Formats: sequence, structure tokens, C-alpha cells
Amino acid sequence: MPITKLTRAGVGLAAALAALAGAAQAQDCTTKIGAVLPTSVDWGRPIAETAQFAVDQVNEAGGAAGCRIEMVLRDTQVDPKVGVDAAKALVDLEGVKVLLGAVSSGVSMPILTSVTVPGEVMQMSCCSSSTAFTKLAEEGKTGGLWFRTFATTGVQSAVGAKVAKDQGYGSVAILYKNDDWGQDMARLIAADFAAVGVDVTASVAVNDGQPSYRAEVTEALGSRPDALYLALYPAEGTAAVREWISLGGTQNMILANSLKSDDFRDSVGLQYLGETLGTDTASPRSDSADAFRAAYMARFGKEPNGPGLANSYDAAMIALLAMEAAGQDASGADVAAAVARVTDPGGTPVSADTAGFATAKGVLASGGTVMYQGATGDVRFDANGDVSAPAVVWSFTDGGTEEVEFLSLHDVDTFIASLK
Amino acid sequence: MIGVVSYLVFFATTASILAIAVLGLNLQWGNTGLFNGGVVAFFGAGAYGTLILGGMPQGAHLGGFALFYPLALLGGMALAGLMAWIVGLLTLRLRHDYLAIATFGVAVAFENLVRNAEWLAGGAKGVRGFERPLRAMLGDGFLYNLCFLAVVLLALVATYLFLERLVASPFGRLLRAIREDEEAAQSLGKSPAGVRLTAFVTGSVILGLSGGLYGTFYAFVSPQDVLPTLTFQIWAMLIVGGSGNNRGAVFGAFLIWGAWTASGWALSRFAPVEAQLYTGSVQFVLIGAVIVGMLLWRPRGLLPERLVVSQRGKTPLAKQGV
Repeated sequence: MPITKLTRAGVGLAAALAALAGAAQAQDCTTKIGAVLPTSVDWGRPIAETAQFAVDQVNEAGGAAGCRIEMVLRDTQVDPKVGVDAAKALVDLEGVKVLLGAVSSGVSMPILTSVTVPGEVMQMSCCSSSTAFTKLAEEGKTGGLWFRTFATTGVQSAVGAKVAKDQGYGSVAILYKNDDWGQDMARLIAADFAAVGVDVTASVAVNDGQPSYRAEVTEALGSRPDALYLALYPAEGTAAVREWISLGGTQNMILANSLKSDDFRDSVGLQYLGETLGTDTASPRSDSADAFRAAYMARFGKEPNGPGLANSYDAAMIALLAMEAAGQDASGADVAAAVARVTDPGGTPVSADTAGFATAKGVLASGGTVMYQGATGDVRFDANGDVSAPAVVWSFTDGGTEEVEFLSLHDVDTFIASLK
Repeated sequence: MIGVVSYLVFFATTASILAIAVLGLNLQWGNTGLFNGGVVAFFGAGAYGTLILGGMPQGAHLGGFALFYPLALLGGMALAGLMAWIVGLLTLRLRHDYLAIATFGVAVAFENLVRNAEWLAGGAKGVRGFERPLRAMLGDGFLYNLCFLAVVLLALVATYLFLERLVASPFGRLLRAIREDEEAAQSLGKSPAGVRLTAFVTGSVILGLSGGLYGTFYAFVSPQDVLPTLTFQIWAMLIVGGSGNNRGAVFGAFLIWGAWTASGWALSRFAPVEAQLYTGSVQFVLIGAVIVGMLLWRPRGLLPERLVVSQRGKTPLAKQGV
């Protein structure tokens, strides 16, 4: 009996030592991943902070693929040649196999065509929304190395149309940001409005950085719509909505997720946003979404509101999970191939935090697969690296936003199918 | 090691492409005194022209002529030249800052045109679907980049030699005469308007060549490539390098682009983690400081223009030996 006890203690001690050795080993080596994000732009910095936050959580769980992770961050200045050069430097000089970014499609695209695909590096963007990526993937030119956690614009526009229909709006005017995302959004939502029988009275492009949007707003207002649809970012959105309200425009507004921002709410004033509803891709009905929210609030002292934050977190987390699944010294293509193992609908669910990552490590080590339940939902990529997601309709409150309606992935898919 | 070489090849390609653009601007500003504030429009015309003429058919917009590559590149240059000719006819009677404002407006109009005219240039999504020439033979990797660098360097050297000869020729003398004193040139029976237009179009064709190579290198161009920032960058390169001096123009391009990228790299590597998020803004401050410093201490650039006396007056024989 004493011998058995002693043996047991010995085995326990050995196991503990081995675990310690493992942990020590994890600290010995460092794997670099690259991030090219527009940190010199006001809304770009929180996106980078959130990606770094995910990396920190993974390091608390002992790193990925046996090594500590270091994220090397470069600024794109929203300038394609600066972003491409930064990406090339990360790939060639730092030897990264995984690249997070960029935000603008106009920067992500040349990085993809001239750096990551030729260099066989996995590229995962939080926020690039252009439909051009889907086309490029369909032509087989992304080599399976391209992913994005920004749910295709189709989900947003479909839910926006559903809101207009449910609210009984007969006609809607559209203000959209004049970039690739905004132009796609405007085209898709116009088609979706038509499909649910809502008239589009005007569709007006809004350029960045103008001192006034009176001309654009007047054009939309002149068409006398029941409601206004806004696919804008906070800075232009604030300016445009202030003019809209001051000129006597309706408070019936539908917002894309880019306006889910405390700055926007505070600058416009909550009293003018009473009838306003927003759409977003949603968190799943699981503990993991709350875990992300809670951890984010503990770290940054505010809710994760702002364009691309949840997407950026998921992009970093999925990339790191895939690195874990692919193992040490994996190539970019190996990591890209391993993404399917960590977003497997039949796999063990894991939450979006340190504990979730630790659980995933165990499952992956024993050859299993996991389903990552992220900040943007049960992320699942299709063959083109695009995601679909559950959706939520929200409204502004004193403290942030509150949910008005939840649409599961199934609801979303059914509704989108009904529009066709 | 191979990574460093591979990166340097990539860097040299971008820098050389920008150097060609700076040479084009140097002909306009450095030699003729034309303040072109719309560099990016002619650069963009070259890039869009080349990709639209040389690209594969795309459903949504004009293009997909799949021309033989050198023809596509020439087409891009011709488009830049044509645009410069029209803009030149309209604006070249303006002087200095007025010309700068007018051409800046042209550049903003060009960006808005390609951003909004989806049928023409794909809108904000840009033009893609361009197959880089000889890709099937050379693959996509290091070898391709090396060969492409060779082509770009060839274009740079050819442009440089062309401009050196042009500037040394009687025509070059005429350009400088107009730059220094237009009325004096006119009094000698020269026609400044025609000469200014020729210089403006020639410089813009060179800017178009640079843009065409740029579009080829990325196999993609979008309105984000033709923002006013690029005009500013090209001007900074010329001012720092030394306007009026072709060697200075090339040197300035490599120096400023080197500083631009190296500062980003150094900050990402050596700045403390907490400061990482602010490196983007710090970089802008550093680059601005370098340019301001240059203007304060070396206003004529690192390699200033060499003043040449084309024909010496008769000097006493005794002095000629010295």
C-alpha cells in the first residue's frame, strides 16, 4: 500500500515536472505572426489593440504550437504601397507564416496578389469586405490562403431589409460610404429592399472628410422617404445624421454595424436615436460571447463597440488556433488547411478566451477537432474563405446597445433564400 | 538571408518605379518650372490604362482587351500623355500656384471619376484580373520579382539617359530659359506656350510609365492608389533629392522611400510594446520632420542642380590655362 502511494506520488510529481518543463519550453521559443493594420487612423487602432488582446490571451494559455506568440504590428497608413511593403517585410524579414490584415480591401488585395499568395502565407482579414475577394477565390487565385471574419455584406443587407419590412416602412433612402464596402452595401441593400417590396427613393454616396454633407442629405431628404438607411462610418455618419435631423429628417433610421459605436451615439445624442435600429452579425447564444465581452471590458474598461473589433478578435483567435492545430514549424498552407479543424461544426465547442484556448489545445493534441465560438458567432468559412453568421437587430441605450431581435444562422439563411 | 535579399529586391522595385515618377516630375518642375500638383492623376492614368488594356475580361467594367503587355504599357503611357495634353491646353497659361491648384483639382477629379464610374474602372473595388506577363514561365516567387526588377531598372536607366540627353540638348536649354524668364525667351523668338506643353506632356508620359509598372507589379489598382498622398510623396522625393538634377531625383526617391519603410520597420522592431500602437502616427511625425529639416538646411536638395554655362564668352587665352 505505501509503495503504491509512493508510486502514485512519484507519477504525480513526474507529471507535474513534465508539465512545468512543457510550460518552460513554451517560453523558450517565440513564433512571430504579422499584422498590417491602419494604426495611424482613429478607428484602426482599437482593431489592432483587440488583435493584440487575443494574442495576450493565447500567451496566458501557454502560447500556440509550443511557442510564445509575438505579434509584429505594422501600420498601413491606408496606403496600398506602404501596406504591401510592410507585409513583404514581415514575410521576408520576420519570417511570419500568418498575416492578419489589412482593413481596407484596396490594401488587402495587392497584399494578397503580390505578397501572401506568392509567398504561401496565410492571410486573415478582419474587415475587408469587397466582393472582389470572393471572385478571386472562385477563380482559384487565392490558393486557399485567404480568409476573412467579416461576414459577407449579404448578411447585413438582408437583415437591414428585414428590419424595414418588419417596421412597415414603405420607402427608404440610402446614404452609403463611397468606398468598396459602401458601394457593395448600397447595391445589395437596394436589391434586398426591392425584394421585400420597399421602395428605394434615393441612394446617395458620401465621401470621407467633407466639412458638410448638406448636399447629400438634402438629396436624400428631398425624396421624402419613410426611413433612412445608413452604411457609413462614425465620423461621416455623425455629420450626416446631425444634418439629417436638423433639416427635419425622420428618426426612423436603420444602421449598418459600422455605426454601432458609442462615439456615434454620444455625438448625435441618444434622444434623436429613439426610433433607430441597427443590424450586426451576432454573438452565439453561448457563454463564450459573454466571456469575450467580460474579458474585453475588464481589459479596456468599455464595451467592445466599434467597427471591426469582434471581427479582429476572431481573426486573431482563429489564426492562432489553426497554428496550434497545424503544429510546430507549419507552413502557411498547413495553417490555412488547419482552419477547417478549428471551425468544424461537429467539433468540441470552445469559448473565446484563455480557458477556451487551453481546452482547444487538449482536444487538438488528441487529434480531435473544435468548433470556435467567437465574438462574432459560430464562425464557419465557406470554400472562398467567406463567413456567414447569425445576426442581431439592436438599438442604442444609455450604456451601449441592447438586442431587439436575434436571428440564428438558420433564420438568416432562410431569410436570404426567401429574397432570391 | 534569402529573405533579406528577397525583401531588398521588392523594395528596390517599388523605389525604382517611384524614381521614374520623380524623374517625370523633375522634367516638369525642376527643368521647366511647371508646378504639377496632380502627379497622381497621370500616374493613375498609366496604371489604369495598362491594366484595362492588358487585363482579362471582367464582367462589370470596361476592359479585358488582353493586349500584348508592351502594347498595354504603351497604351497606359499614351493615355497619361493624352490626358496631360488636354489638361495642358486648358491650364498651362496659369502660373505657379494657380497651375498647382488647377492640376490638384484634376487629380481629385480623376480619383472621383475612377471611384464612381463603375462601368469604366470598376469603382471603389478597383481593377483586377490582370495576369502579370510571363508569369506562366517564371512562376510567382523570387525569380519573378528578380526579373521584374531587371525590367524596371532598365526602364529607369532608359528614362534617366533620355532625360539627361534632353536636358543637355538645346531644347533643355530652352526649358531652363523659360523657367528663368519667360519673357526673355519670348523676346528671342521662342514660343513658350508650345515648349511648356511639350515638357508637360513628356513628363506626364513618364509618370504614366511609372504608374503602368506599378499596376503591373501589384496586378491591381484601386482608387486608394491614386489619393493625393502619392503626389505629396513624389514631391517630397524631388525636393529632398534636389530638383533640377536627375541624379538627385533618383537618389531622393530611394532615400525617401527607404526612410518611409525603414522607419516603420524600425519602430515595429525596437519601439516598446505599449508604444506599438502609436508607431503609425510617430512615423508621420518623423517623415514630416525630415522634410522640414531639409527645407531649412538644404533647400536646394541633397544633390542640387548643377548650373551649366552652355556657351562661354570669349576669355583671354592667359586665363584659359588655369
